[in-house]
Amino acid sequence: MAKPKMALYWAAACGGCDVDVLDTNEKILDIANLVDIVFWPIALDFKYHHVEAMEDKGIDLCLFNGAIRSTEQAEIAKLLRNKSKVMVAFGACACFGGIPALANFTDREEIFERVYHEAPSNNNEKGTVPLLKTSVPEGELELPELFDTVLTLPQVVDVEYFVPGCPPPVDLILKLVDLYARGQLPPVGSVIASDKTCCDECDRVKEEKKISRFYRPHEIITDPKKCLLEQGIICCGPATRGGCGMRCVKANMPCRGCFGPPPGVVDQGAKLVSALASIYQGNTDGDVKRMLEEVVDPAGTFYRFGMADSMLKRKRLQKSRGSVRNAKD
Amino acid sequence: MPKISVNPITRLEGHGKIEIFLDGDGNVANTYLQIPELRGFEKFCEGRPVEELPRIVPRICGV
Repeated sequence: MAKPKMALYWAAACGGCDVDVLDTNEKILDIANLVDIVFWPIALDFKYHHVEAMEDKGIDLCLFNGAIRSTEQAEIAKLLRNKSKVMVAFGACACFGGIPALANFTDREEIFERVYHEAPSNNNEKGTVPLLKTSVPEGELELPELFDTVLTLPQVVDVEYFVPGCPPPVDLILKLVDLYARGQLPPVGSVIASDKTCCDECDRVKEEKKISRFYRPHEIITDPKKCLLEQGIICCGPATRGGCGMRCVKANMPCRGCFGPPPGVVDQGAKLVSALASIYQGNTDGDVKRMLEEVVDPAGTFYRFGMADSMLKRKRLQKSRGSVRNAKD
Repeated sequence: MPKISVNPITRLEGHGKIEIFLDGDGNVANTYLQIPELRGFEKFCEGRPVEELPRIVPRICGV
């Protein structure tokens, strides 16, 4: 019997999810024995036209990483969706927007201005910026259009499964492959991770969640055995799905939420604000003001990996442009 | 001019395509490398606390 066909693709991503698949080490040989990989830009030489030539649903399993922030990425997502029986949003960017979705605090115009005109490392005297079409003596060159708003994969195409994480831990990749191989995939829409929160799975000592102030890392030496949040370090664990193996917290770094919201939570950032507000010991207006000052970058912290997936989705464009203009005035 | 597109470029980190234009004899007249992606780290890192950047910028390239 022919082996099932697997595709792997990256959209707005860093390549970490692809390397992550190689982090399965010798198990990658088991995966290669199990499936034929028919598309994987980081590792194999198949082109888009090879995918276009495949029959619809000819790919059995597609692991799609990266957020969607250009017309090309949206087109490839739709192409791979049509060609794939099972589509997996693989990694935080595909699931929730990830780090690239921090761009939803700004827009394409501001990004172009910074990247191509203002950045001090630039040498762009002609003021060249990417254009959708560029005429050259030999013909015409085309580039995809960047969106103002970064999207998640499920905002563009239907997705069967989610494997969160930045990047997903190797044990979850192997779990997905194993479930697939044994024909025991869970119900469509399932997240291949834990159903608990990070806090539930964290083995740091938790005593009493009462915080009198928040600290930045240079303001405190933390006890590596105690709950970071109880020590005043903002940790996204209470509003983040578990299953990550506590990689950050074990390295004495607070969680930043790359596994997305736990089951039943719609908006990860709002959930975290709720959690923090309930444990902060503040009764006066002055306390509240102090608390707000202690949280340096609330939106960028609470929505570090989840801006595109959040109820906010993005900073309001008009307001954003207006505030930039005011700042320059 | 006839054109050969190599899209995407494979076995490297990042997105790229190559457009090869051929002259009347089928020889290469000119070749262009294009990078059809941009995420905007230069912009969206602004306003983030400095201690958070070591956790954000590794996602420029994870290879």
